Amino acid sequence: MEITVTGPEEYGNEAYRKLFTEVMSELGKAVTLEKANLFLDPAGPLFVFSVVLRSRPESKRLADATSIRTEGKEVHITITDENYAPEILSALWKQYGRTRVEQQTRFDIKIDEGDDDLIRELPIASGEDAKQEIVGALWRTLPEGIKARHNISEGRIITIAATEEIVTDEIKEKAMRIHNEVKGDVDV
Amino acid sequence: MYDGGIYRSNELLEMIEDCGGVVIQKTRSAQMFTVTMSIPGEDREGMEKMCTDIGGMVKAVPLAGTEIAVVGPTLGRHHMPHPICDIAEELRQAGAITVVMGLARGRGKATSQISMDEMGIINEYDAAVFVLGNFKSCVEAKKHLFEKISVPVILVSGPMPDGLEEYCEAIISGVGRRTERMRLPEDRKKLEEISEKVESVLRTKRKAIEEDPIFVHPAEIKQLLEEYGPIKESLRPAPIVLHLDGLRLKIPMKENIEAISNMEVYGRKLGDIAKISESRIDDSSMIIRIMTRSEVEDKDNEKT
Repeated sequence: MEITVTGPEEYGNEAYRKLFTEVMSELGKAVTLEKANLFLDPAGPLFVFSVVLRSRPESKRLADATSIRTEGKEVHITITDENYAPEILSALWKQYGRTRVEQQTRFDIKIDEGDDDLIRELPIASGEDAKQEIVGALWRTLPEGIKARHNISEGRIITIAATEEIVTDEIKEKAMRIHNEVKGDVDV
Repeated sequence: MYDGGIYRSNELLEMIEDCGGVVIQKTRSAQMFTVTMSIPGEDREGMEKMCTDIGGMVKAVPLAGTEIAVVGPTLGRHHMPHPICDIAEELRQAGAITVVMGLARGRGKATSQISMDEMGIINEYDAAVFVLGNFKSCVEAKKHLFEKISVPVILVSGPMPDGLEEYCEAIISGVGRRTERMRLPEDRKKLEEISEKVESVLRTKRKAIEEDPIFVHPAEIKQLLEEYGPIKESLRPAPIVLHLDGLRLKIPMKENIEAISNMEVYGRKLGDIAKISESRIDDSSMIIRIMTRSEVEDKDNEKT
């Protein structure tokens, strides 16, 4: 991950570079980030953190994490990505109720009288959740007292501006300018 | 401080008593036992031999008999729970009783505040270590958090702030907000530096107290109070905590003030030679501040 820190205080810049790396690694988000731009202005105070994700967070359908086949009236599902197992089960329970969904083994599920096409399209994860997690991690890196925040999200880029009192138009403009700088040659 | 097992610890306690020493703090955790003691210098060698014989080790603890507050703007995950806990632990290793405290509204550059209650609580301790963050301008802007604190303040921050020397007794830079424990060799060195600084600040305070000495040493009152029923029955880990100029008793004031005030110390009532007040933390503990000899003499003169 490439991190650029801009700020008036050398000590603070280095401390925040370290903090940002540690918090992101601790939360398992460092691998999802390609680039980060941290703008620190403690005199304001105004902090603008802008990150570029490696890939655009997208929603997942049930078919993306399973293989599905139909035998007569029964639909057999095999989980191929176990990370989504809880979401797969809860989506199926919601659609068919617990009595019709039979989990035979850790990875195999059978559904009586299921609709193959409908099952394939059931959503199991939205891209919004992934984005929310990144935003949460960024909030955790920002100083605690800087509570008034303004978020900008566009494709792979997420920018957060945070200040202590009112988020003015100038702050929004500044955040947008940094957001656009980061955007630069990135294919959003 | 003796640090070892519980095995044959009664022999150790007997020896402390025999050589005219005092047990300042005694903590037992399962089979582990630590005793902070004050003994005459000439008995040190014998005591060290005894401690090694019973399978423990002994070390000098310069902060024994003090209670120190380690204060941060908040104890939230955002701030500095790691340095605060590490500093508190380092001071504990040096013999102090430490308390970790987060302010209710301490975060933020322009919005940080400290209430009168919080100041009152901090003033009950022998010294306060304030731990602030990574930006010089923010640390300098937060001087109002400690400028009205009457006990010695040691400021620990990231960068070295300017113009705060008159508001605190010592400033140590190079810590600040961080998300990891202070485990590296340079971190350990920094913790030792903080501990040494606290020790030197308290040494100065001790000297100041010695100029007009307190009427009786807190350890003597502790010995007296140890025989008091509610203290003996108290289940709190350290029901009596020594301060440089008094003690903290972790029993309710309302029920015990009369009995404690009437205890006899060198022919006088404890209530006549000490100021006893309820702790600002809650009503389950009280603070005894022993008067200086001159204060007691003044009081005597007023009576006659």
